[in-house]
Amino acid sequence: MKLNRLPELRRREFLRRSAQLSLAGAAAPWALNLAAIANAAAADSSGGYKALVCLFLYGGNDYASTLMPVDSAGHAELVRLRGGSGGGNLVATRDSLAATTLSPRVPLAGSGASGTQLAMAPELAPLQSLFDGGSLGWLLNVGTLVQPTSKAQYQARSVPLPPKLFSHNDQQSVWQSSGAEGAVKGWGGAIGDLFLGANSSSTFTCINASSNAVFMSGQQAFQYQVSNSGAVPINGIQTNLYGSTSAAQALRSLITTPRSNWMEAEYARVTARSIAAEAIVKDALPSTLPFNTVFDSTSSLHRQLQMVARLVAGRSTLGAQRQVFFVSLGGFDNHDFLNDQHPPLLSQVGSGLAAFHGALTELGVADRVTTFTASDFGRTLTSNGDGSDHGWGSHHIVMGGAVRGRRCWGEMPVLANGGPNDVGQGRLLPTTSVDQLAATLARWMGVSETELSTVVPNINNFSQRDLGFFS
Amino acid sequence: MTPEAILDTQASPINPARPGAEAPRAIAKASTAALAAAACGGGGSSSLETDVAGSAGTGTSTEPAGGSAGGSAGGSTGGSAGGSNGTGDTTAPVATTPITDAQAARFLQQAGFAAMSGDKAAVQSKGFAAWLDEQLAQPVLGGTRYQWMVDNGYAVEANINNFAGADSSIWRRLIASPDPLRQHMTLALSEILVVSMSGLPIKWRNLAIAHYADILEKHAFGNYRELLQEVTLSLAMGTYLNMQGNRKEDPATGRVPDENYAREVMQLFSIGLQQLNLDGTVKTSNGVALDTYTQTDITQLARVFTGWTSTRTTDPIASDFAYVTRPMSNTGNQYQAGDKTVLGTVIPASASAAQALNLALDVLFQHANVGPHIGRQLIQRFTASNPSPAYVARVAAAFNNNGQGVRGDFKAVLRAVLLDTEARTPNASVSGGRLREPVQRLVQWARSFRVTSKQGRWPIGDTSDPATRLGQSPFRSPSVFNFFRPGYVPPGNELGANQITAPEFQLVNESTVAGYLNYMQSVIANGMSSGDVAADYSAEMALAADASALLQHLNLLLAADALGAASLSSLVAAVNSMPAATETNRLNRVRAAILLVMAAPEYLVQR
Repeated sequence: MKLNRLPELRRREFLRRSAQLSLAGAAAPWALNLAAIANAAAADSSGGYKALVCLFLYGGNDYASTLMPVDSAGHAELVRLRGGSGGGNLVATRDSLAATTLSPRVPLAGSGASGTQLAMAPELAPLQSLFDGGSLGWLLNVGTLVQPTSKAQYQARSVPLPPKLFSHNDQQSVWQSSGAEGAVKGWGGAIGDLFLGANSSSTFTCINASSNAVFMSGQQAFQYQVSNSGAVPINGIQTNLYGSTSAAQALRSLITTPRSNWMEAEYARVTARSIAAEAIVKDALPSTLPFNTVFDSTSSLHRQLQMVARLVAGRSTLGAQRQVFFVSLGGFDNHDFLNDQHPPLLSQVGSGLAAFHGALTELGVADRVTTFTASDFGRTLTSNGDGSDHGWGSHHIVMGGAVRGRRCWGEMPVLANGGPNDVGQGRLLPTTSVDQLAATLARWMGVSETELSTVVPNINNFSQRDLGFFS
Repeated sequence: MTPEAILDTQASPINPARPGAEAPRAIAKASTAALAAAACGGGGSSSLETDVAGSAGTGTSTEPAGGSAGGSAGGSTGGSAGGSNGTGDTTAPVATTPITDAQAARFLQQAGFAAMSGDKAAVQSKGFAAWLDEQLAQPVLGGTRYQWMVDNGYAVEANINNFAGADSSIWRRLIASPDPLRQHMTLALSEILVVSMSGLPIKWRNLAIAHYADILEKHAFGNYRELLQEVTLSLAMGTYLNMQGNRKEDPATGRVPDENYAREVMQLFSIGLQQLNLDGTVKTSNGVALDTYTQTDITQLARVFTGWTSTRTTDPIASDFAYVTRPMSNTGNQYQAGDKTVLGTVIPASASAAQALNLALDVLFQHANVGPHIGRQLIQRFTASNPSPAYVARVAAAFNNNGQGVRGDFKAVLRAVLLDTEARTPNASVSGGRLREPVQRLVQWARSFRVTSKQGRWPIGDTSDPATRLGQSPFRSPSVFNFFRPGYVPPGNELGANQITAPEFQLVNESTVAGYLNYMQSVIANGMSSGDVAADYSAEMALAADASALLQHLNLLLAADALGAASLSSLVAAVNSMPAATETNRLNRVRAAILLVMAAPEYLVQR
């Protein structure tokens, strides 16, 4: 799409949405935000299709069991910090890490970089070739921050801190939206807002293959949810309901008629959208898979990622130029049984992401889709005996053909209990903020420099807005 | 809003016979200013009080029985904030105005699940408060889920690592137990003090979750403090939030006690994250919310919760399935030595593990936050998603003092929740209401149509699949944070723009709205498990030839007459167009009518 067509498209989208809203009945000033539509002027949707995929690891991923020092001294220190056998043998052996040891293109930075060589958990082995091939990198010690924060500032509470640190639901929300539980606008949705005009149907701008997440809601962009098998048709409105076409028509009318009560109105609005979108999605998802890559049907994450890959393949049917997707995997709150429960989860992450990248490569769009991981928070280094507790900063993956990978971005922290990057029991004080991650991804999508603060409101507190993922 | 929508609202036949003239009399009987304030409120700040029907009289009228019992009750304790003492004094003036069918049905649907005609008549003859008192006075009826599972052969070694029988035992009580209020409270508590089958890695987990449900049911009309004690020491919770096997610190290895239960018992089960006023609003200092606890409090409380283990005999484990019913025990070997300071209270080193645990739970129980924190959530589970601060304050006051100086009495709390003016008056505000949760809808269908299980095994199973079933299944929350959060605000609509909490909307999306309708279409027609679980539509079949009568009956039974005239007439027309000559014809009419009512937004949102 050419940039100079944008104003016309935006106008068309505005009119279409206005019509949609009057169809939906309720006066909805929040959705007719002319200023926000005008803002889209600066976002650049040229250069073909692009999409972001957020993989959220619910529960708080244990960073030290995901990406860890494998050099002799660093590994020994990690084993010591995690209590050795008394702590439940939480650290994989050096032998088991040999195949997933990373050789980054550029040396690690940060106070914990010296002498450190990192390895991924053995279960992430399917990602090794992606890292080596330059399509994947790790962002070190990223987490929620309001502004750059030193340990002294944290201890003195002399700078604003993210609300409700260490609390699952709230830190999930802060990661996704900069606000605690009750927030209504996330940065995936905010990016979507800026590209509603670039897509012929705004419905397919933010697609959630998991369950509701504030990340995907913008000022106007909403999350469209799709099941692992695609859009779900409502049987009772198709031809007849218990043999009656009149009853089927009455049902359709009943569940989509605009309502005045706000809860009824929202339920009816979602239902109407479900029906309208299903008619399009079914055409975008041919029964013959558009790729040969095999996903594991027993894995919830694989099924979600497969659906995203199918939707990307159907992007022209969906009329999409810019999309944000959300998938998730739960079970990462491993206070106990870390050694039993964490590896199978990472295995799904490793094999799932590798399959996803493989499918996108087959589709010829690997460089059009950037995938990243996120989680409530990192965890403690210290062991509870066979698991770890809620933490803060953590390491995360950025993957895609456009990524200038085989790198570890950000700063390698000193792993210590009481060290310079630690706020207690090995909870990492983040040295890179989620906002910086978001800004880097948003810029790649085409969000302008001046629009970044509408995506992540605290970005102006950070001088570095581009973490250098992309070439 | 379209003209049709306005018409729809205005023409709504909700309590057409409401005696508006009685309202002032009912309010006059009330002794507190809070009642008057509440009667004028209804959904939070005044800016939200956009009464779409323009019917101020309807919006503020008060059902005499509900108003007097809820609002004027409990004048004996005085002095609490807002002058609210909703402690459910049963000596409140008796209703003088007949309770309409719709009012009785609405009350029963809030308190229990369904509005059966016998219950409706009882409510109408006795009044809301007296009916409630009768329910609250009943002991637990019937045997436990645990015993039912043992008696029905689920405690066999093949099930040592699965959940066989657990869903059945839970559905059976929800649907068939003749004490709907207690069952609803059990479900409500299961969504606050969450233990889920997703995350219970122990032997005999099927029996452990069933016993946990039994604990919630046992204390449903009891005292919160006793519930908290038994929950804390239950093997199910001990496993779910890792207190089972939690060991003291080990300086040699750096191992420290697990903080999971310490954190979540404070955040979720008792006091919450931020200091609250009695009315549930957050206390602030210079505009900054005040936290209830620090990381140090969590670390200290985690030290209290050490040394507890299951009492399971190791050999042979297969024969000792009853261990899941025994509280965890503490030998003291792994109990953390030293003083612990929890929320400013020192728990001395001299206290035993059990004494320390009791002291710590007492500290939480006595915290001023518990009433508003738990009270607001119970309001959300029974009557309103976004209750006014005044309503929360009245319920919190009842938690703080049941009128006889007792704190934590769930009977008083339930009276305050259900008899409050705000509960008894249909909420005409555009922001008002509560989305019926999917499990509640299924249970309501089952109870309303006298569903039975032919084999008695209630094979309903796991209804979690969002695309093909309910997207929710009892005791199968995805995490300890429940299916939905009490603070959830649906984004991108009027609710989000006005910060209206509506927890159940966390489950609403394009897949689940379709999945629910498809599931119900099948269930209404075929029951479950090849007809083992089946409904009795004989009452509806008798009306099937008269579409109008059938739909009026269902509107009352399922929706307390909430479907407006416009919706109803279009449904009548549709059903009328269906043939009625044969038994099969009439059965299809009944099925269609039920699905249509249960699909209506006016039904889905309980107001």
